[in-house]
Amino acid sequence: MSDPLIVAVPSKGRLKEQVEAWLADCGLSLSVTGGSRGYMAELKGAPGVQVRLLSAGDIAETLDAGEVHLGITGEDLLRERGGDVDARILLLRPLGFGRADLVVAVPKSWLDVETMADLEEVGHDLLARTGRRMRVATKYLVQTRTFFARHGVADYRITESGGATEGAPAAGSAELVVDITTTGATLVANGLKILSDGVILKSQAHLTASLRADWSGGRLAVAEALLRTIEARAVAHQSAILTWPADPRDADLVERLVNQGASRRPNGLLTPAGKIAETSLALAAAGIGPVTATSPDFVYETGCISYAALLSRVEN
Amino acid sequence: MKAEPTVPSSALAAIHAPFEALGAEPVDAPILQPLGLLLDLAGEAMRARLFVVQATGGEETCLRPDFTVPVVRQHLDSGREAGRYYYEGKAFRAALGSDQPDEFRQIGLERFDAADGDAVAADAEIAALAWASAVAGGRDDLTLHLGDIALFGAFVDSQDLAPPLAVRLKRVAARPRLLAAELARAGTQPAPDDSGRLADLLAGLSEPDAASLLEEVWSLAGVEPVGGRGAPEIAQRLIRRAEAARAPALTLDQADAVRRFLAVDDAPAAAFAAVRAIAGKSPQLEAALEGWSRRLALLGEVPADRIRFATALGHAFDYYDGLTFEVRSAALTPDRAVAVGGRYDGLPARLGGSAAAKAVGCMVRPWRAWAGGEA
Repeated sequence: MSDPLIVAVPSKGRLKEQVEAWLADCGLSLSVTGGSRGYMAELKGAPGVQVRLLSAGDIAETLDAGEVHLGITGEDLLRERGGDVDARILLLRPLGFGRADLVVAVPKSWLDVETMADLEEVGHDLLARTGRRMRVATKYLVQTRTFFARHGVADYRITESGGATEGAPAAGSAELVVDITTTGATLVANGLKILSDGVILKSQAHLTASLRADWSGGRLAVAEALLRTIEARAVAHQSAILTWPADPRDADLVERLVNQGASRRPNGLLTPAGKIAETSLALAAAGIGPVTATSPDFVYETGCISYAALLSRVEN
Repeated sequence: MKAEPTVPSSALAAIHAPFEALGAEPVDAPILQPLGLLLDLAGEAMRARLFVVQATGGEETCLRPDFTVPVVRQHLDSGREAGRYYYEGKAFRAALGSDQPDEFRQIGLERFDAADGDAVAADAEIAALAWASAVAGGRDDLTLHLGDIALFGAFVDSQDLAPPLAVRLKRVAARPRLLAAELARAGTQPAPDDSGRLADLLAGLSEPDAASLLEEVWSLAGVEPVGGRGAPEIAQRLIRRAEAARAPALTLDQADAVRRFLAVDDAPAAAFAAVRAIAGKSPQLEAALEGWSRRLALLGEVPADRIRFATALGHAFDYYDGLTFEVRSAALTPDRAVAVGGRYDGLPARLGGSAAAKAVGCMVRPWRAWAGGEA
C-alpha cells in the first residue's frame, strides 16, 4: 500500500468514547494495535487509513502543523491555535457532540456588570484608580484577546491558568475568567455569572482537515472514500424512505414533494426524517397508500460536500 | 525571523549626528525585559507582537519591543528629576505575517523634566530633533505630522456635555469601535435601565450605608462575593452607571462636531482655524492652542510647508497623553513612519515616579530614514 492517510482520534475520556461510538455507527470500528496501551490503531472498513491516538489538544496542534491529515477535536482548541487558523485547517463537519461554550464570566456580586461594555468601563476605572489592570484567568489566550479587542476592552491582563480556572476569582488570583462550560453549573458554584454578550464560541467536536499536510500519493482518494462513507451515514440519519404501491395518481403530488426537498426513489421518495408524517399524510389524503417508512443505512449521493470543500482547498 | 539590512556607516553617522549634538547621556537597555511589567503598561493587545523568552523555571521575559520603558526605569532609579538619555540598538516586534522585519534598529531620545519645566519648549526640541535626524537620512519627501492627545479632552470640555457623557467620550477616544458606537447612538433617547431602582436607593445613601445595603442584597440573593472589587466600589459604580444610562446621548449636531473635529488634518494654521470654528470659544481650548502657536514658532527649522496637524494622530498608542508626532516619507505607507514620538507624562508615575514629572521622547528608524533603505 502507498502512503497512509493519518487520522488523529482522541485517546482518552468522554470525547474518545463519543468518537468511537460515532465511528462505529459509520461502520468504521477502531481497533488498537500494539496492545491496550498502544497509541496506534486501525480503522476497519477504511483501508489506507492509519489512526493516531492523541489528546484533544495535541490533535489541534498536529492538524495545525500538518503532521496528520484528518483529526477530530473541539473547535475551541482549534481556534486557540491563533493567527489565520482558517488558512491552515478546514472544519469539514460538526459532529454534534463534545459541546461546550467558551464564555466570559464575572463574579455574581458584580451587580453593575452585565455586558462587555460594563467590563470595559470597570477595567478602565480600575487602571485609572489603582494603576493595576483587571486580571483575567484563562487557558484561551488567543480567543480572549481577539474577543476583548472586538469589544474595545483594553485595560486587562491575562493570567494564564493551568487547571481549575473558575476558582481563580475566589482564590484572589484574578478578577474574572474566560473558560469552557457545558452547563454553567461549575461557574455558578464558584460564584460567577456569564455576561449577557459574553459567549465567545459555541464549540463542538469537528471532523477537521489539515491544509498543511501532504495530500499527495493517493491520500486524497483514501480521504474521499472515508468522507463519502461518513457523509452517507450522516445523510441517512436525517432521511427516511417512503414506499407505496405504484399508483398512476401520484405524479403531481410527487412532483410537488420533490420541489419541497424530497428526492425520487423506486416506488417512492427519500424525504427528510422530520417530514415523514407530513408527507405520508399528504399521500394518504390523496388516496395513495399504504405508505411504509423505513430508515436507510447509508445514502451515497453522487457529490460529497465535505470532500469537494477539501479538494478545492488542497489543490494548488 | 526577518531582520533589517544594515545602513552604511556614513549614512548612519549622519542620522546620529543631531542626537549627539544635543549632549544627551548615552544609555543602553537590557535586551530581555520583564514580560509582566510591559503587559501591565501596554496592555494585552501588545502580547501578540512580543517575543516571549523563558528559562526553565525562570521569570517570563520578552525581547525589548522598544526602549522607552527601560529608559524611564533607569531614569527613575537614578533619582534625578531631569535628564536627557540617548540610545541606539535593536528592538523586536513580531511582524505577524506582514512583510515587515521582526528585528529593527532604533535611535531615540527620552527627555525628563521637573514639574516646573517648560513642556512646550521640550516638545519642540524633541520634534525638531526627530525631524533633523530623519532629514539627515537623505530623503526629500518627508512631512512632519503633529497631533495632540490632550486637545480632544479640551474640545470635549468646551462642548457643555452632561458629565457622564463627557467622561465616556474621553475614555473611548482611543477605541475606534466604541467611539463609532457612541457617535452612532447620537440623537437617540437613553434606554430604560432595569438596575436603576437599586441604584436610586443607593444614590440616596451615604457611601458606607450604600455599601452595607449592597451587602444585604448579596446575602438575600445568596451571592458569595468573590474577586477583587468590594461593596463600596460596586455600589458607587451602580449609581454612576444609572446616571450614565439616563444621561442624554450626543445630539446629532454634537456628534457631527466630534466627527468634524477628529477629521481635521491640515497645515497647522488652517487646522487650528478649523478647530476654533468647530468648537467655538473656550478658555481650555484657547490655552491649548496658544501652546501650539509657541511650539510651531520653536519649530522654525522645519519648513512650514512640510508640517501638518491632525487631531486624531497617535490616539492608538496607550501611553501618549499630549503632543504626538510622526515623520513620514511619501515613499512609505503611513504605518511605516520614519520617526515617531510624543509626550507621556503619565508613564513615569505608573512606574513609581512622581505624578508631576514630565516626559517626552522620540525614536528614529535609520533604515527607513536612509534614502537608500526601505522602499
